[in-house]
Amino acid sequence: MCLLLVGVLPVGADTTSFTDREIAAFLAQGPWPQTPLADPGNEYSGNPLAETLGKALFNSTLLSGDETLSCASCHVEHLGFAEPKPVAIGVATHVRNTQGLLDVGLQRWFGWDGGADSLWSATLRPMLSEVEMAADIDVVARRLQTVPQFMSAVAELSGLQKAVINERRAADNDPPTENERLVVIAAKFLGAYMRTLASPRTPFDDYRDAVFNDDTEAQKHYPAAAKRGLKLFLGEANCQLCHFGPRFSNGEFHDTGRPFFTGVGEVDPGRYAGIQRLRADRYNLLGPYNGTHAEHETRKTRTVKLGQANFGQWRTPSLRNLTRTAPYMHDGSIATLRGVVDAYADIDPDRLHNDGEALLQPLDLTDNQRNDLVEFLRTLSR
Amino acid sequence: MNRTFKRLDESHRSDHKSGRRCWHLFLLGLLGLATPLTSVAADTASLPIADVHVHYSHDSVAQTPPARVIELMRSANVKFALVSSSDDNGTQLLSELAPDIIVPGLRPYRRRGELNSWYQDDAALAYVEQLLGNNRYATIGEFHLFGETADLPIPRRIVELAVEHNLILHAHSDKDAIERLLAQNETVKVIWAHSGFDGPEAIAAMLGQHDRLYADLAFRSEVGGSGSLSADWIALFKAYPDRMMLGTDTYTPERMYFLPEHASAARRWLTSLPPELAEKVAWKNAHDLIMPVWQKNQQRVTGRVNRHATNDCTADGAAGHWQQDGLTTVLTTAESMTVSEAFDAMIRVCSHDPAAVSLSDITINIDAVMRAHGHGMNYTPDVRAVSTSEHMAEFRVEGLVLHMPGEWEWQVTIKDRGASQTLLQSFELR
Repeated sequence: MCLLLVGVLPVGADTTSFTDREIAAFLAQGPWPQTPLADPGNEYSGNPLAETLGKALFNSTLLSGDETLSCASCHVEHLGFAEPKPVAIGVATHVRNTQGLLDVGLQRWFGWDGGADSLWSATLRPMLSEVEMAADIDVVARRLQTVPQFMSAVAELSGLQKAVINERRAADNDPPTENERLVVIAAKFLGAYMRTLASPRTPFDDYRDAVFNDDTEAQKHYPAAAKRGLKLFLGEANCQLCHFGPRFSNGEFHDTGRPFFTGVGEVDPGRYAGIQRLRADRYNLLGPYNGTHAEHETRKTRTVKLGQANFGQWRTPSLRNLTRTAPYMHDGSIATLRGVVDAYADIDPDRLHNDGEALLQPLDLTDNQRNDLVEFLRTLSR
Repeated sequence: MNRTFKRLDESHRSDHKSGRRCWHLFLLGLLGLATPLTSVAADTASLPIADVHVHYSHDSVAQTPPARVIELMRSANVKFALVSSSDDNGTQLLSELAPDIIVPGLRPYRRRGELNSWYQDDAALAYVEQLLGNNRYATIGEFHLFGETADLPIPRRIVELAVEHNLILHAHSDKDAIERLLAQNETVKVIWAHSGFDGPEAIAAMLGQHDRLYADLAFRSEVGGSGSLSADWIALFKAYPDRMMLGTDTYTPERMYFLPEHASAARRWLTSLPPELAEKVAWKNAHDLIMPVWQKNQQRVTGRVNRHATNDCTADGAAGHWQQDGLTTVLTTAESMTVSEAFDAMIRVCSHDPAAVSLSDITINIDAVMRAHGHGMNYTPDVRAVSTSEHMAEFRVEGLVLHMPGEWEWQVTIKDRGASQTLLQSFELR
């Protein structure tokens, strides 16, 4: 009987059904929006004044070495705070794609390699990087001292908070300076602002809630192709294993077989270097500038493991807002969503170590199935 | 040269401490002074103390082990302590260790430095709601609110949650904010932290005006600071014999060590009161207010396994249960583990024959692996011994993160002076 019905249904008709297990799995991809926790180690996180100043700093060129670049130069708001170039170009050309910043407050680690354990420390890296904004701490601090709004905010908030520097942890041979303290406060204001960058609800969220509420009428608005793509996402294509939860990311790192040569004889080691950088970072949550000292926030930094499998791993990106943030992957090497789906469907298993992530296998997906996955991914943007 | 930013918004500024009303009524002289409080002789030297203002925040946890805190409390003959901490971990550590004397309060702060921002921070509210889903409490607080901030959406929601979850509010507030909180719901009760740092006249006016208001005397050196009470304070206690309570306020790690001295000092000045009244202030008022609430809330079903339901190595509700080589080992986790979210667990190891297998030297490692994927966890969780007795050793595991859904396997390794055993248990995470 069912076979007969399929024969008379118009092409593209909605025949997708979900098992109870699939429904439970896809309900776990919501609800949306989610509330980010405080930026760890940032005593100004959640403070409206800090957020306001952080936004101003984000759009200001004061934080770059030659005063020509701001955070917003690469993180373009209407593009989900990403940019259309494959790799970022600051003072010099980077080897990585500019990541979008919407919902960044929901992340555990920051950067493609997770080399930063807080939003505020993640802002210091591009600021001080010779490839990106090439700023000098003393120069930036002197500039900040000439901005009355910034200095009055520092004075006002310092009156409320404990000193930003944890003196007990300050290294004797390289103690924090007043200029450094000022730049770190600026970074914390930036972190406070970036935590507020939230993406809107999407057609997927409407569908997810309609299923959750058993609202069959509202469910009809979700495209049939996207529904087929969702079923693939949950099942045959196994995407959900890493792109799990309301943010469509498990927040951790995986080797998906993407090349990571950056030139002849040069590689970008990804997570491996990220953990090393994290451990050496003066601005990590174990360092002197952690302003809150909450043990549950610093635990990830203390306990993260470093292993050979981390070489060439990249942070699982969120799948929200993808229609605004092309191109894709850590090096911006894929221009379209269809290209991304093809890359996973046709993955080369020989690039993956025998003892590595054993879930990635080539997928025998038809052209229509690949298009369905793309249609599903499009419903994660508004 | 002065520079400016664009789009600065100064609208956040507000005077949080502006008062709304003034209180002038002081009826103490007319009330209570003539009330005879005939003696039920209290031995003030050993008078139990209910301390309703204890914090065991993250920096305190880092410096003083929970067992030492409990030791300090017991040495001070603390009948029970209302503990609220930034973050909640410290409260839970003490509660696990000494449920007979710890009453948990839920503080909306994840760490120091949030007392001026929490009431505008959605994340603070989400934190409260998450903890309410997992744990049991008697109070929400101590939180800081002044003036009109008490009527902002997040404080309003806190009041709603207090009513929904049968909780008393513990507010460090001025009179204006206290009244705004009380006005939001006709049943909610409030403990006024530090009695608002107001004088006895103003405290009396507030207590007279609001019968759902109670007051603690934490960090009030002027109350009995000379070893005895002044007449105006005695008048206040006699006017409101059922509404005043004691508290230390361990707001820095060092002050935890002041707790016994605080109790001793209170016993000294309580001798200024009739014995029956002294006993009320010392512990009975707190007991009569907080214990009925706490006892009822302890019956609530939460997302977390009740770690006190079994105080041995029974398998009830366990995520893993093994019997091997003279030991029984039980792993207890949250009932609802979520992919990629950090959670904690408890491991209990019981010796079948303490004479043959000693628990004093054992150490624990725990991991979880996805065999089908060829990987384990990305973190090495913290494992710390909570308590060790002849029959049972208990360990708290913090920072477990299972970052993918699917088939996992617990791997618990117990080491004892060179010998080791590894216990395995499969489970599915959805």
